[in-house]
Amino acid sequence: MDQLELLQGTLDLLILKAVSLGPLHGYGVLLRLQQISGQTLTVQQGSLYPALYRLEHQGLLATEWGESENNRRAKYYQLTTAGRTRLEVETEKWNRMAGIMGAILKTEAEPA
Amino acid sequence: MSKSDSLFLRLSAQCKSWLRAITHRSSLESQMDSELASHLEMLAADLMRAGYSRQEANRRARIALGSTIVHKDEMRASVGLRFWDAMAADLRYAARRLRRSVGFTVVASISLAMAIGANTTIFSLAKQLLYERLNVAHAADLRLLAWNAIKGREAVHHIWGDYEPYPNGRVASSSFSYPAYQYLRAHNHAFQDLFAFKETGGNATIRGQAQPVQFEMVSGNYYGDLEVHPQLGRAIQPSDDATAGAGAVVVISDGLWERQFGSSPAVLGEIVKLNDVSLTIVGVNPRGFTGAKNVQESPDFFLPISMQPLIYPRSVRSSTSSSLLDAPQNWWINVMGRIRPGVSDAEAQAELNVQLSAVVRATMPVRPTDSMPQMDVRDGSRGLFHTQRMFAKPMAVLLTMVGFVLLLACANIANLMLARGTQRQREMAIRLSLGAGRIRLARQMIVESVLLAVIGGAGGLLIGYVGSNIIPKLTGNAWERSEFHVHFDWGVFVFTALITLCTGLIFGLFPAIAAARTHLNHGLKESSASVTRRRKGWGGKSLVGLQIALSTLLVVGATLFLRTLASLNAVDVGFRTDHLLLSEIEPPARQYPPGKDMALHRRIIAAFGAVPGVEAVTPAVAPYVAGEADDTDFLPEGEAYEKDKDQSQFYNVVGNNFFSLMGIPILSGRSFDSRDTATSGKVAIINEALAKLRFPNQDPVGKRFTTDEHNNDGHSLKESAQWIQIVGVCADTKYTDLRTPPPPQFFLPFEQQTEVGGLTYELRTRIKPEAVVPDLRKALQQIDPDLPLIEVRTQQQQIDSDTQQERIFVALTSSFGMLALALASVGVYGVMAYSVASRTNEIGIRLALGARPAQVLQMILREAMWVSIAGIVVGLTAAMLLGRAIKSMLYGLQPADPLSFSSGALILIVIGLAASWIPARRAARIQPVEALRHE
Repeated sequence: MDQLELLQGTLDLLILKAVSLGPLHGYGVLLRLQQISGQTLTVQQGSLYPALYRLEHQGLLATEWGESENNRRAKYYQLTTAGRTRLEVETEKWNRMAGIMGAILKTEAEPA
Repeated sequence: MSKSDSLFLRLSAQCKSWLRAITHRSSLESQMDSELASHLEMLAADLMRAGYSRQEANRRARIALGSTIVHKDEMRASVGLRFWDAMAADLRYAARRLRRSVGFTVVASISLAMAIGANTTIFSLAKQLLYERLNVAHAADLRLLAWNAIKGREAVHHIWGDYEPYPNGRVASSSFSYPAYQYLRAHNHAFQDLFAFKETGGNATIRGQAQPVQFEMVSGNYYGDLEVHPQLGRAIQPSDDATAGAGAVVVISDGLWERQFGSSPAVLGEIVKLNDVSLTIVGVNPRGFTGAKNVQESPDFFLPISMQPLIYPRSVRSSTSSSLLDAPQNWWINVMGRIRPGVSDAEAQAELNVQLSAVVRATMPVRPTDSMPQMDVRDGSRGLFHTQRMFAKPMAVLLTMVGFVLLLACANIANLMLARGTQRQREMAIRLSLGAGRIRLARQMIVESVLLAVIGGAGGLLIGYVGSNIIPKLTGNAWERSEFHVHFDWGVFVFTALITLCTGLIFGLFPAIAAARTHLNHGLKESSASVTRRRKGWGGKSLVGLQIALSTLLVVGATLFLRTLASLNAVDVGFRTDHLLLSEIEPPARQYPPGKDMALHRRIIAAFGAVPGVEAVTPAVAPYVAGEADDTDFLPEGEAYEKDKDQSQFYNVVGNNFFSLMGIPILSGRSFDSRDTATSGKVAIINEALAKLRFPNQDPVGKRFTTDEHNNDGHSLKESAQWIQIVGVCADTKYTDLRTPPPPQFFLPFEQQTEVGGLTYELRTRIKPEAVVPDLRKALQQIDPDLPLIEVRTQQQQIDSDTQQERIFVALTSSFGMLALALASVGVYGVMAYSVASRTNEIGIRLALGARPAQVLQMILREAMWVSIAGIVVGLTAAMLLGRAIKSMLYGLQPADPLSFSSGALILIVIGLAASWIPARRAARIQPVEALRHE
């Protein structure tokens, strides 16, 4: 199956979702996104970190330095209360949008 | 969670994160590095597990992640550091540029510092005089009660306090009778409470030393209502004020405590005398509390108002009681209060107005034609706020003028920067072609100008600090201690910071726009560009024109005030002012009732006359040019008393030797002499103005008149009316001040009075007037050790203090004018020098084609002259329009004074020519060959 490029503006939502399942470091976020999507999404690895920093800056993510699986120091991201609220709001928005888009695209021409 | 809540949370999170990023910059950088490094490592480890060699895995990992430098830049942008970093770079670059052109930086920052410093000084003064509030908690809740009525028909006849006629025919006062205050306080709902106070002067004896003091009599609830707590001891309490004469206690000011008692805590319980009444010190006011009357200076003593009958007894002739506390006819006390929350001023005014009418009708005789006082609830946060009446206009004039100076400095620097900006076209073009945004270039210029402004602003703050310490020294008079000082506080600092920022933005705007408009191609080609650049010089020239216009305005303004001062100094007061010493003596009425006061004054006159160096001494009720006026009815025989007509005239009570001592000529009849005694027929002398006004085409000598002898119903003369015969006419003299023409005036002999109260002593000395003062004090102390000499000054000092405001104005406005001239000449020089430099080529060609150097010189001077003339015309027009606003401040000339206007124009033409002379001569000396090779 071909890999899909991420839609503009969806990376933040995906990161929030990935982190909502448990604290992750940056590389972990990448792995989890690939894992959940069944390797069908390409995430530009470079754009991951600016997005993480942006979300942290907005107070949606909290960070903590800890030990990684192979005993390296790594920065772990986890959702804050504000982040969880945002994830719910954005998910709801996305579902409505997807529903509307689907309905529009399913419309067929009325028989003349 | 509401929307605004979440927005606030996000903003505060962002602020915190941004601050953390800035303050922990290096740890942020290392975190980014290690985070990206660990990503690479983990990725590479996974790749190795998938079967790649270590080297290949590392390579693939690096490719997958991409450029870490770019990522880190975006990460910094994510936490809002990009703008900050760019700004820091701009600042570093701006600082480097300013360091490189030291001359420009020094000239620009000095002129800015002077302009900002002048603004800071004047602002701090204006703030102190017009905006400062009483130093008490919640001053904004305070309201001052006042009333107004139709002038001439007011039901209130005896006012001791302010009396301010309005242009609309009404008159206002903030004085109330004590019974009216008590009634208003008892029936008030709109205010939390009402309290009363009255400030006046008296004689105190502190630790054996007699001295004049200011004191405030206050109601018992005064301290409680104002929420003022003494720094030592206790405040005046309602119990102090319970019955008349009770509560012989005093709270002293912090200033007096420090001055007289060395801030010793042992002061509590000490006894001081005020107007010969012993009072016990019970407290010391907090530092910075100035009483309720004003925010400038604190009275020395605060005592219960119940002490009034003893401390400041009412003149006994007109009444049987010495107390003002039960006198509904006498309006003298000031009333303030804190308004209840939620009550509007209009509601409070309406309510109190009803009560005021009620108490006036209940306690005073009111005739149907009388105008009832209308209640007027005013802002009380600044006390009685007399400073507004005195200083609002002068301060507005000064603030406008310094504002112009600042604008001028802005124009000046904008001009210099614009000229430099043209030199920097190449730099801008190169930066543009390398990909810099136009906004970024404009921002660079703004950052440079704001940095320059901040340097100037720092200097300005320093100058302002020095200035605001000097100004109060100019405002005191020569013979009184003044505690007035200007607070240099946060408000002033914020003002200075704000004008600095605005200044930087204003003068940076032109170069910024110019930079943003740079054309890539032009900029790079320009070095060999057009022959003439007249059109491009337009922006610079209009700025120079503006500078000339503003300078003209300021110079004309300064000249107007200078000429006013000169006219005032040239005024002939009508009497000899040299070797003349003045001093007041105010015997307390309780100790020196009518009759006794006359005996006391006779003793003092004899004692003073015997002091070595004193040639002659005369008493007088009214010292001249001292802002004091005494008037009373003047009814010539045969003229009926009319209630609604003002028949009063100024008068003076003087010694028999007054006219010879003062050098005032007697024009007809005789002077007072030894014939005029307490028992001889009453006599008077009138001045020429009064003779002309009341006895036109008659010889007044021998005519009779009477004073202040009508009955209280205001219709008929008293049976006891005493006729006074005019025995002479003297020449006119100035009376209250220098500006007013000599008013009609009559003179009564001191010898024929039965009571005078306080007097001014006027002494003609053979030696320096100040030299006799110690002997005068000794002589007075032998007569009564508790009587001080008050306001000892020479007549000349007294006259100088009348022109004090004018002198301060001349000093300030001329320095603004000079500063303006200096700035304008730098501006003209700069723009002409630049114009000549950029036209070197053109001038070279002209010279090569046969133009004579003199012609080139003329050409450049003519160009400068046109700019100057245009600026002068604009400046004079503006001066003409603005001059009308200061008409009332001028003396002896009109706002459109031809001499001031023409001299202003002339000065500016000379400055314009002088400033362009050097560039013009440089142009004339250009060698054609060099000029053409120059390219």
